[in-house]
Amino acid sequence: MKEHIFASYTNKETFEKITDYSCINQMWSEAAANYGDRVALVDGQDYTFAQLDKMVASFRALLTQKGVKPGDVVGVYLPNCIEFAKAYLAITTMGACAVLLPPHLDNMTVFGCSMKFGMKALVYSSALEEKLDIVKAKNPALPLIEGGESCEDAAAGVDCPGPAVCTVLFTGGTTGKSKGAKLSHQAILEGVKNGCYGYPEVFGQRYLLVLPLTHVFGLVRNLMASLRTGSTLFICRNNKDMFRDIAVFKPTIMVLVPALAEMALNLSKQFGRNMLGEDMKTIICGAAAVAPYLVTEYKKIGITLLPGYGLTESACLVSGNPEAMRKPDSVGLIYPGIDYKIVDGELWLKGKTMMSGYVGDEENEIAYSADGYFKTGDLVRMDEEGFLYITGRSKEIIVLSSGENISPAELESYFYAMDEVQDCLVYADNSDGREVLAIQLLPRAVTIKALGITDVEGYLKEKVAQVNQKLPAFQRINKVVIRDADFVRSPSMKIVRSQNG
Amino acid sequence: MDKEQILEKLGGIFKMVMGENAANLETSSENASLVDDLGLNSVGILYLVIAIEESFGIRFDDVGTSDLKTVGQVVEYIRSKV
Repeated sequence: MKEHIFASYTNKETFEKITDYSCINQMWSEAAANYGDRVALVDGQDYTFAQLDKMVASFRALLTQKGVKPGDVVGVYLPNCIEFAKAYLAITTMGACAVLLPPHLDNMTVFGCSMKFGMKALVYSSALEEKLDIVKAKNPALPLIEGGESCEDAAAGVDCPGPAVCTVLFTGGTTGKSKGAKLSHQAILEGVKNGCYGYPEVFGQRYLLVLPLTHVFGLVRNLMASLRTGSTLFICRNNKDMFRDIAVFKPTIMVLVPALAEMALNLSKQFGRNMLGEDMKTIICGAAAVAPYLVTEYKKIGITLLPGYGLTESACLVSGNPEAMRKPDSVGLIYPGIDYKIVDGELWLKGKTMMSGYVGDEENEIAYSADGYFKTGDLVRMDEEGFLYITGRSKEIIVLSSGENISPAELESYFYAMDEVQDCLVYADNSDGREVLAIQLLPRAVTIKALGITDVEGYLKEKVAQVNQKLPAFQRINKVVIRDADFVRSPSMKIVRSQNG
Repeated sequence: MDKEQILEKLGGIFKMVMGENAANLETSSENASLVDDLGLNSVGILYLVIAIEESFGIRFDDVGTSDLKTVGQVVEYIRSKV
């Protein structure tokens, strides 16, 4: 039998422990039984696997009392905290589906989601309660459960079929328009399993969580991978305290977006000490392009940085690079079990780890090929050893180094609505050595003249400032370029993003 | 520590966070917005806060982090803490 391509990167005993589970209840039951007295989570205090299991069983009973049944949809509107882990495990192990709402969502969106997803209950944090006013007013029948609530009873978990959907995560997807990706038990568990490949020390690690649990990288590669491997996860409540938390907790592994990995490296250089602590051995880095120098610079301080590639739609990792020192610009080898093909340079994916589609049908038609492959929108090449390289993006989405996704089309729509703007283009500008969101605006001469505007640049910059006021900080446009000539266009007269920006 | 000393030290921190672009910080107004004018994203702000804490030996309150919007506010906040 052909050897597993990741088998040689850890010892035999560890490798054989990386096994399959059919559903989250099966995985969690086994983890709780195997690692009972071990600390599973640290959030202000220690919670052992056994204690967490009890909390989960009690919360399942509470959800049942509130009318939640297997197959129902339950919203989770919590920041990173022990209650998030408890609620997520309880919902998924009772056969229901958790819709994970990012804490930055506003009142109207939370209400909209409660209706769109047909939620039967919503678990919330008291810190976010003021944003539930519209839900309370317009959807008064929806049971609202504060994350810290518990009950005296306990309810057993149930096994589910692997393909049953258990999680909905928000993503910009291929078009950039925010939507929910439906992930099954088997997709989540494949994502967790794949995350165990490619480095030597997998089980019994100490993870420190800084990424949001509503992001696939935080949920699958941090929380679920940590629980799956009998590791301890320290929940950093405020990222500004991450290095103080590191000094106390001494993590051995962290999952970071490139911008955070770069920040930790620069701070270490500046302050003359390894800010990630002496016990840190492994950094899993992804969710945006990883600069090759991060691999070599981290090696110098004894830390292995492993670049990977994944999507919300693939329940986390599609590939991981166990040979990062030899091939630092590669995102690695595609994990076994993922069926892929490269069509006109674009990576297409199929397999157990892939989502079950987006919520609502309209986006699904364009997301899949006729033969059922998910079209990632990422342009790739593969070398003779099977290592994958991302060469560009065919999809119209900007991924900032902080891992945040920006839909240019969504931002541009604000400006297309203005009579004074003929055409526009939003892009990531790196020309000054740092990444900022920029816009090129082509003024509509007729309107500008009719309005008697003389300072066109000042006028349009003011318009951009007004739009910025409405946007969350990471979506704001920091650079404005006023064009005096038309954009480079395709034969069909579309603006060619790659040749403008 | 007076305002000038804080600004000088802060200039070095901005340079670390933003690269050479920060060279013109001293000429920029204290009203310059960290996000809109200096282009700091969420990680940039985090980087700034951590570097200030390390360099000045102070600790930001949670309120302080979200309320600081301009260079001038950062300077005043540091002054109130050192």
